[in-house]
Amino acid sequence: MVKEECKALLDALNKVTACYRHMVLTIGGTSDSQNLREELKKTRQKAQELAVANRNKLTTVLKDKSVSKEDKAEFERLWVIFSTCLEILEIDMRRALELGHEFPLNVPKKHLIQTGMSGGTSGVAARAMSVQNMKYEAERNIDVVDLKDLENEINQVGEMMYEMEMKVNVPQWTVEAKQDPGAELKSTISVGASSIGMISVEENKSFCDISKVLAGIIFSAVLIIAIVLAVCVVKLS
Amino acid sequence: QIEPLMMEMQDPDTGVKTQTQRVMITNIPHAVTGNDVMQWILQRLQITQEEALHLGDLFVKYGYIYPLQEPKNLTLKTDSSLYRFQTPYFWPAQSWPADDTDYAIYLAKKNIKRKGILEEYEKEHYNMLNQKINYKWDFVIMQAKEQYKAGKERKKADRYALDCQERAYWLVNRTPPGVLDVLEYGVDRVTDPNENKKKTMDVYRREIMYYQQSIMKSRVKSSVSLGGLVKYSEQFLSNDPLLSGCLPSNPWITDDPEFWDLNAKLVEIPTRMRVERWAFNFSELIRDPKGRQNFQLFLKKEFSGENLSFWEACEDLKYGDQSKVKEKAEEIYKLFLAPGARRWINIDGTTMGITVRGLKHPHRYVLDAAQTHIYMLMKKDSYGRYLKSPIYKEMLAKAVVPQETVKKRQVKLNLIVGSGFPFGRRHLRSSPSPVILRQQEEEAKAREAATTVDITQPCHHAAQAPHPAVYTGTSTPPSTPAAPACPPAALPPSTACPSPITMAFGSTAGAEKEREPQDPSPYPSSSGRSRVAALSFGRFLKKGCWTSPAFATLSPKCPAMPHGKVQPLGEREQQLWTDTKAVSSFFQIKMDGPLESRICPIDSEKGEDNRHRACKDSGKEVICPWENPVEEGRAG
Repeated sequence: MVKEECKALLDALNKVTACYRHMVLTIGGTSDSQNLREELKKTRQKAQELAVANRNKLTTVLKDKSVSKEDKAEFERLWVIFSTCLEILEIDMRRALELGHEFPLNVPKKHLIQTGMSGGTSGVAARAMSVQNMKYEAERNIDVVDLKDLENEINQVGEMMYEMEMKVNVPQWTVEAKQDPGAELKSTISVGASSIGMISVEENKSFCDISKVLAGIIFSAVLIIAIVLAVCVVKLS
Repeated sequence: QIEPLMMEMQDPDTGVKTQTQRVMITNIPHAVTGNDVMQWILQRLQITQEEALHLGDLFVKYGYIYPLQEPKNLTLKTDSSLYRFQTPYFWPAQSWPADDTDYAIYLAKKNIKRKGILEEYEKEHYNMLNQKINYKWDFVIMQAKEQYKAGKERKKADRYALDCQERAYWLVNRTPPGVLDVLEYGVDRVTDPNENKKKTMDVYRREIMYYQQSIMKSRVKSSVSLGGLVKYSEQFLSNDPLLSGCLPSNPWITDDPEFWDLNAKLVEIPTRMRVERWAFNFSELIRDPKGRQNFQLFLKKEFSGENLSFWEACEDLKYGDQSKVKEKAEEIYKLFLAPGARRWINIDGTTMGITVRGLKHPHRYVLDAAQTHIYMLMKKDSYGRYLKSPIYKEMLAKAVVPQETVKKRQVKLNLIVGSGFPFGRRHLRSSPSPVILRQQEEEAKAREAATTVDITQPCHHAAQAPHPAVYTGTSTPPSTPAAPACPPAALPPSTACPSPITMAFGSTAGAEKEREPQDPSPYPSSSGRSRVAALSFGRFLKKGCWTSPAFATLSPKCPAMPHGKVQPLGEREQQLWTDTKAVSSFFQIKMDGPLESRICPIDSEKGEDNRHRACKDSGKEVICPWENPVEEGRAG
């Protein structure tokens, strides 16, 4: 029971971290906007809540001496996953801070880098927050105001990680991964027709197709002309 | 600095013109042509075409702009090939090196997308990372899946652009094999140019110190150094095996190791080229073990063999074990420098004073001043006479000129053709192991030393002082042939030497006070020490004498230790010094026994303790004058 709860919490944190990474990628690009900054803030806060919850749960379990050996190993594995996740989150947060400083949104002289993105990240944020639609309610200059909060939160996360290291003694390298290399291939990821891979595959195919189609058209045209001529000749003769 | 430029490029009015890239049915905006980028750079920075091209190329190589049509070809083409700007997250920055975990996540994502189709080098990396960060692997897979799913929440066009971006980033940061890794040197620099250092007083002070030191650095005019280089090349041209060929034949070409056999370290009869080379300059003679051997013969005739032995002992000290530094330094002192030492060397008063002071806190370079002095002495004085001496002339006459192997050119041709040829092929045997070689050398030295008779005087024995290397204040290796700015022996060593000494002093200033009151006490008391101590001292002496020449032969191959190693020694020898009892026994030994009966036990430092024969030395109570400056007068 406890294991499932822990796993669920960890999955949630994982999801939020992935979404956060996606969003940090777009800072400074053309799909950057106040909304994005607000999304970042909300996601970040959610991530922190989840992290705290995770930590509490896992620490109580790990401190519990009455846990069996296999369970303990399992929880240590979850702990390692959790700490790695938190590391990545912290790095992303720091990056976000730096990029936020570099690219303030309301300064007319500073232009956003034209990265080719045009859509927004609201879908990603909605996924992170587990809501259907994102609501934006922040002020106009959230990008600047938020940075201070971000700094504080980074410090908080840093402290939390330090505490974690001090209190829980789980050597990372002793944990063995459950999944083999290539396990991701066996997962049931629905590769829809609109996936990126298909786009590039289509791209290649499309070039071949175009030339083939053209050749086919020309050939058939020539054939038709030949048939018509033959019919005319037959008719006339 | 590229970053502001990048940002300027984005200006819709003054920046680079953008176009739309067409991928099948989707349009992805913000593509730029290479030509546009170049033109913009030219205009903005007002530089030449070549420079602009190079700069633009750098943009692409470092990943600020990535090509769209040929993603793997990271160059700027000034035609209509398309590029796009990279998102700031993926800009190269020193404080954010590309992380292995991220790379693993990327590869896993790619695996999912392409259903297992990865490039070869990517597969290798994948497996390697799996082993390296195995404990994180579950996380990697989880995160990869999640990122993939999150990516689906975006527009198709955006997804495509994202994919291109990420791919470009990893092409720059984990280059495929065979591609120039631009970041190889860049990211891991010592200083981070983007780092905003607050200009505090301290920073300025350090800058000033740095510039002052660089002004004070001694510089040589390029005409002088070029002249030296030309002279060196001319002189050594005939000795160069690549430029002038070597006799009998180049072993790498003909598989004939005769060349190496003839030029072995202590071969009986050296080759003529080698002997002639000793006449070029003194450092050539000193570098060659056979040369040293020959020189030693000469010096013995002149009764100054102790000079070379001292030099070799100092070399051994410099390049030998750190743990034995203290012992060796003391042995060398006892043997060569102390007043009344058996093989006393003649150095002037100031140098002796410096050395004695330095020996309070011995480290590797404590004898450098003395070594330099002796080196210059040998160079200026004995070397000239040596070259005119019958010993050298005899060696020159004996020297062999190996015959060029017959049909060398044909042999080479055969090699090129690839067939196995009969002439050069000899039975290949590997040379004897260095351990054995060293033992043989030591035995040979022992035998030689046993047969030599030092001319003894009542107080001073003609100690053999070896030659010090040319020691300059900065850490240049001792065996550089061209040292045109060779400073006069006495002065710079005295300025240079105190620095390691002061460093040692600095670290042990506290402990010094404790030590000093202990020191005077053992000295005045007479030696009533046990035989064990006598034996041990004798052993140490032996080790000092005999292993040092053997190690001196190996010394040219050892890299010079930087001065940075001095400070730790200070701490170590604090601990050593606390063992005053053993130390005091060291200094009060009364040695009995005649000089001639001294035979050398061979202590191979590789751990073979063949201490078979005890050493006794001629009796003389040697007192260490660390605290008595009176005795310095005698040394001068």
